[in-house]
Amino acid sequence: MQAKLKNPMADKGGKSTLRRLLDWAAVIALVLCFLVFYLVKGNRFLSVNNMINILRAMSITTVFAIAATVTMAPDGFDMSACTLASCSAYVFMSMYLWYGLPLILCVLITIAITLVMYQLTMFLILVCKIPDMLATCALMFVHQGLGQWYIGGGAVSTGMRTPYGAQPVRVKLEPAFSAIGREPWLIIIMLACVLVAHIFLEYTKHGRFIYAMGGNKQAAKLSGINVKAYRYLAGMITAVFIAIGGMLVASRGSSAQVMCCDNYLMQALAAVFVGRSVGGAEKPNALGTLIGAMLVSTLENGLTICAVPFYVLPAVKGAVLALALIAAYATKKEQ
Amino acid sequence: MARMTLGTRNVSIEFPGVKALNDVNFEVSTGEIRALVGANGAGKSTLMKVLAGANPDYTGEVYLNGETVELRTTMAAKKLGIQIVYQEVDMALVPTLSVAENVMLGDMILTADKKPLVSWPEMRRRAKEVLDRLHINVNVRTLVQDLSLAQKQMVLIARAIVNKCNFLILDEPTAPLSDSETAELFRLVRHLQETENIAIIFISHRIHEILQICQKYTVMRNGEIVDTSDVTDKTTTREIIEKMLGRSFEENFPKETVPIGEKVFEVSHLSGADGKVNDVSFYVRKGEIVGIAGLVGAGKSELCKTIFGAYEKTGGTITLNGKELKIKIPTDALRQGIALVPEERRKEGVLVGETVTFNLSAAALDKFCSGAFVIKSRTEENARKYVDSLGIKTPSINQKVANLSGGNQQKVAVGKWMAADCDVYIFDEPTKGVDVGAKQDIFRLINDITRQGNSVIYASCENSELLSITDRIYVLFDGHVMAELETAKTGEDEIMHYSVGSTTQYA
Repeated sequence: MQAKLKNPMADKGGKSTLRRLLDWAAVIALVLCFLVFYLVKGNRFLSVNNMINILRAMSITTVFAIAATVTMAPDGFDMSACTLASCSAYVFMSMYLWYGLPLILCVLITIAITLVMYQLTMFLILVCKIPDMLATCALMFVHQGLGQWYIGGGAVSTGMRTPYGAQPVRVKLEPAFSAIGREPWLIIIMLACVLVAHIFLEYTKHGRFIYAMGGNKQAAKLSGINVKAYRYLAGMITAVFIAIGGMLVASRGSSAQVMCCDNYLMQALAAVFVGRSVGGAEKPNALGTLIGAMLVSTLENGLTICAVPFYVLPAVKGAVLALALIAAYATKKEQ
Repeated sequence: MARMTLGTRNVSIEFPGVKALNDVNFEVSTGEIRALVGANGAGKSTLMKVLAGANPDYTGEVYLNGETVELRTTMAAKKLGIQIVYQEVDMALVPTLSVAENVMLGDMILTADKKPLVSWPEMRRRAKEVLDRLHINVNVRTLVQDLSLAQKQMVLIARAIVNKCNFLILDEPTAPLSDSETAELFRLVRHLQETENIAIIFISHRIHEILQICQKYTVMRNGEIVDTSDVTDKTTTREIIEKMLGRSFEENFPKETVPIGEKVFEVSHLSGADGKVNDVSFYVRKGEIVGIAGLVGAGKSELCKTIFGAYEKTGGTITLNGKELKIKIPTDALRQGIALVPEERRKEGVLVGETVTFNLSAAALDKFCSGAFVIKSRTEENARKYVDSLGIKTPSINQKVANLSGGNQQKVAVGKWMAADCDVYIFDEPTKGVDVGAKQDIFRLINDITRQGNSVIYASCENSELLSITDRIYVLFDGHVMAELETAKTGEDEIMHYSVGSTTQYA
């Protein structure tokens, strides 16, 4: 039998209605968006095609946001995730075009090389004990330079010579390559990433330990959790998602442009922050991240249909993030 | 120099449920060094905080030279010349600023309205002047983070006397100092007393130091002043300790006698935790509860955490069941059968953001998993079992631990280890901040552990608890074992005798 509520202290567990509403603020906002855009634009907004537009637009951001979620769950941070993803895109594209390797091999090599490069991140954080933010800030530049050195400063795309002047083995992209970056596969891959991260973080002991560490590293350590090992594990999983994100960008763009992924970082982080408090989780979580990314994507899509100029959209994105953070922090007690 | 007197008349302070101070009448005059002694929780710090203006909710009155003064803010106290140097020197200093800035910080705040600009030469000159006056040899341009602990304390004392200072409170200043540093501090204190018209109130647990430097001592017990006497040649450590403890007020706890077996766990010549554990050797037998006694700062927590792998071990061996253990991180300790319930439960013991269920299974999660997946029903079954057996009061097992009361959080911190099946359980101040009822539950649990043939190491500064629950007690002082005592043949006074660092045999 469960112990009855006898202690007045325990009463504080009951959340206020306002707090509950704020916990679901992102979901409520998402529903409101759908309602408003439907009322204004009718079926031009709420068509199957447009829903696919929204999902397609959010997919790459979501994959990077899932990478960020896994890093942030043990209270880590990675500013260099998307510069590393650019490197993954370079590798992926060059393996495919320059060396003409089979697609599946390209995928595996890309993931492997991203994992290898992530060892450097882990070395700086775990061995050199540099705070995550600072270590990855430095690595951002390292990735940019190394990556562009590899591709010789120019994009990797069909019809271009390699930096050594050799003719690429492949001259055109096969349908299987292009399919990765188009629906339905793009969307399926995104949803698979969310699902895998969700199951890992919520239902495995490793995920629980990672969250425990994110909540209180000292207490986790004194509970016998090997905090370094779990930070490393989270890093390796992040690296896999980064590689996937980089490959999606390359396939979607049919090329690996210089710094093609770098700009995804801030949107990905925004999605994680918006999703943090969804359902009162109060920690980075995969489903919340999905909702965060969807909210931003829906807003952008709806406003574009309403003929709001594209160059104003960043302000809307920023406003959503600010509102989400207000919901999360403004009602907190002063420490 | 006019003699000044600061005193309290019937000052009381009530915290929810406890009377921290009860009608306290305390008086001190400039030119004396006064010791304030008492066991942990006797109210020394609370009283000093009243004088420093940091406890605005006192009742009764404080008077200075016969006139009533209001000490409701720290600024008010400072303006009257009452300064306090707290034990945690790092809380009061800005490590990245220079010595000069730290010494002059209070002055800068006081004069900020009149002088918006900082004159560096002037500031350095004045800081140097004060340090010279105290014969403290520190370069004013040095960053405070590069100073030793003793030097930091000197900087704080210098800060206290930059402006008007007639009453200087030193809260356990010698606890972190070496012998030579203590001697230097005493020189400074005597110097202040002789030349600056200052009364020094000296809080310390180290009775031999008080005999050495103070003229008078005041003893507090349970929020009251029980005695004020002169320190004479005839004053003895024993006499002061007896006054601190009063008549014995042992609480009754149910100590079960279980058969004690072979020696199972042994620590020999253990050193570590940055020198706070020094060549410690002890052993624990099967089914035995071994107490680690000592005052705050004696190294009890550090010893527990060094055994558990949370602090670095620099020497010595740890043996369990005849096998030497290799412990680098706490994970190793847990795998080899050692559990630790740490002192700071919110910071170290429980995961406040997680549910009761997760906390109670965190240390042995493998048991509740199928492959990598956590089986929710198994963890919930485990949680219900311990919520029941430990009497954890929670509206639901899925409640976040942050929402439980202190005593219940502590029960969760203890219960966490029960599922882990360890051989040796280390408890570090398990009853700190929990009420009598929760204490009984925790003791019952400790008895259960020994009944199952496991062993317990119980570190506490509550000597009455040690006496009622342990089989043997080791007394620590400055990271050393001072004595090994049979619980049945000892008493609070003997433990206290060794806790204060006496090296002589207790008679």
